[in-house]
Amino acid sequence: MTANTNTTRTDNWAHLIVQALKDWDISLIAYVPDTSIHRVTRIIDEDPFFHLVSATREEEAVGIAVGSYAAGRNAAVFMQTSGFGNSINALASLCVPARTPIPFFINMRGGTGEFNISQVPMGRTTVPILDLFGLVSYTIDDDYRMDNLLDGAMKLCYANRQPVAICLTQRLHGGKFA
Amino acid sequence: MRRFDATQLTVQLAGDRAIVGNLGPTSDELWHAGHRDRNFYTYGNMGLCSSLALGMALATDEQIISLDGDGSLLMNLGALASIAREKPKNLIVVVYDNEEWGQTGHQMSHTGTGTDLEQVALSCGITSTTTVNDIEEYEGALSNALASDGPHFIVAKIEEAGYLPVAPVEPEFTLYRFRNTFVEGQQPQPPQ
Repeated sequence: MTANTNTTRTDNWAHLIVQALKDWDISLIAYVPDTSIHRVTRIIDEDPFFHLVSATREEEAVGIAVGSYAAGRNAAVFMQTSGFGNSINALASLCVPARTPIPFFINMRGGTGEFNISQVPMGRTTVPILDLFGLVSYTIDDDYRMDNLLDGAMKLCYANRQPVAICLTQRLHGGKFA
Repeated sequence: MRRFDATQLTVQLAGDRAIVGNLGPTSDELWHAGHRDRNFYTYGNMGLCSSLALGMALATDEQIISLDGDGSLLMNLGALASIAREKPKNLIVVVYDNEEWGQTGHQMSHTGTGTDLEQVALSCGITSTTTVNDIEEYEGALSNALASDGPHFIVAKIEEAGYLPVAPVEPEFTLYRFRNTFVEGQQPQPPQ
């Protein structure tokens, strides 16, 4: 029997992400809802520092974020791995050639704890696809020194002026349970 | 109405407002109409022209003009729902509608078989909408949009009239030049 640890985990990891966004003045967040990501975006939605923009599709969220950055407001996107699949052409034909420092926060479906077979292929190919683009990604399983990692990842993102992916696993946040 | 004539008029009326060009001929013609650092040219990311413009409109109080196309917008109709949801007062979306995918061989698009993008925008909740068929109507619609709160949605029916040479622009430099008009000195300048 699998215990549902979702209710016993703290959301420290979510608060660390929110703090990193604030530290780097990233105030426009474009996203498509996701159960685990919701634990971050619900904090963002209640904080007047942020403007949380709901997109109909992750590719659209990337376009909104790049537009925001282009007009001077730092932006990030939140999605799950299936949504990353929906946004690949925006990454390939907009973010990479235009060199846009957009942090991608991706809930990693398809790993340990996954219950849905349809989530596995995109979950398992997300990091390899990022590698093929030459983009940096960090997979986070635990919130130990996560603040340090997030700060360094944001610094790299803006220094390199390319997207950086922060991949949040079910071991970190508890995931979604069937 | 020719797209290039409409684009030249747009640049003329825009002042220093930002303009986002849809990929391909629209961005080429935007450049040929007279390069400005506030032109955001695109050569990929089909479907994201008005999403880019929405993001810009949420980042600044200045007016943003999107020069989208029917084939591109059909790829991302959800953009209209998001614009309606956010209701940015400073966003003007112009859709050049030639009822075809011009560059890929003039295949008829869905607006040529009955899809009415103005009605789609209205149904999404964008209340300021119009469809124009000639340059005089377009000038009136754009002038009204520039002088009032949006979001505004203008379908500009155009006819294909050939293509101008590909503009000598590059995505990275486009982004730097554009962004530096909003946050000067925040990013390194591209080599000239």
